Amino acid sequence: MTAPTGPGQPGDDPEERDPGLARERTLLSWTRTAISFGALGGTVLRVNAVTGLIILAIAPVIWQLGRVSRGRGARTELPAAGQARLLLITASIVAVSLLCLVIAIFGKAVPGTLR
Amino acid sequence: MSWSRRLAALLPRTVAQDSGGTEPDPRFTFANERTFLAWSRTALALVVAGLAIVQLLPPFPGVSAGRHLLGVPLIALGAVLAVAAYAEWGRNQHALRRGEPMPRSVLPWILAATVTGIAIIAAVVLLISAIR
Repeated sequence: MTAPTGPGQPGDDPEERDPGLARERTLLSWTRTAISFGALGGTVLRVNAVTGLIILAIAPVIWQLGRVSRGRGARTELPAAGQARLLLITASIVAVSLLCLVIAIFGKAVPGTLR
Repeated sequence: MSWSRRLAALLPRTVAQDSGGTEPDPRFTFANERTFLAWSRTALALVVAGLAIVQLLPPFPGVSAGRHLLGVPLIALGAVLAVAAYAEWGRNQHALRRGEPMPRSVLPWILAATVTGIAIIAAVVLLISAIR
């Protein structure tokens, strides 16, 4: 992989540029994000089973989102549905935060579990 | 049809809702996406920490609202950070497409300020509960 020469690389055809291992690193990053959702779901599961299961169900969706438009076809294939996927992640985190906020304020605490 | 292809079919096929500029180097696009995902994981970690403090920690003696005082702002910060990360991703992508300098990020400042504030509150709550 050659070093990038400048932002935007005007004049180059994006389809001819090889992203190298950036694709793998990004896919791994999506996987870590899905695992984070799983970890949050596991924590919430101890406090509120239904909410925990909902958050756990989001994890595989996030993992699949990372694989969208990253098929085994063209090496330079770009994430065609980029903005919508990221918006979906943001919406998921905000929804999960609101759910956790409701649980934190109104839910029955299990104090001493982390003692 | 695989699950990922079905999911892709449901999503609008736009790289960025920004018709100006030229498509940047894919490596920059990927790096911008990874940065967004890293902030998203940070947001999730804050939510987990906040929920664990409120729901799982034993109560602080003498400070009945101590756990909520620490946990609720962390959860709220998680939501704020997720939205701010998305906005920053859009700004960065916009700059990349136009070959402009990358905009200055406010996310580290927001995170540092809030964590410092919560650390000070935690110290005060611990001191009060130790005295009583």
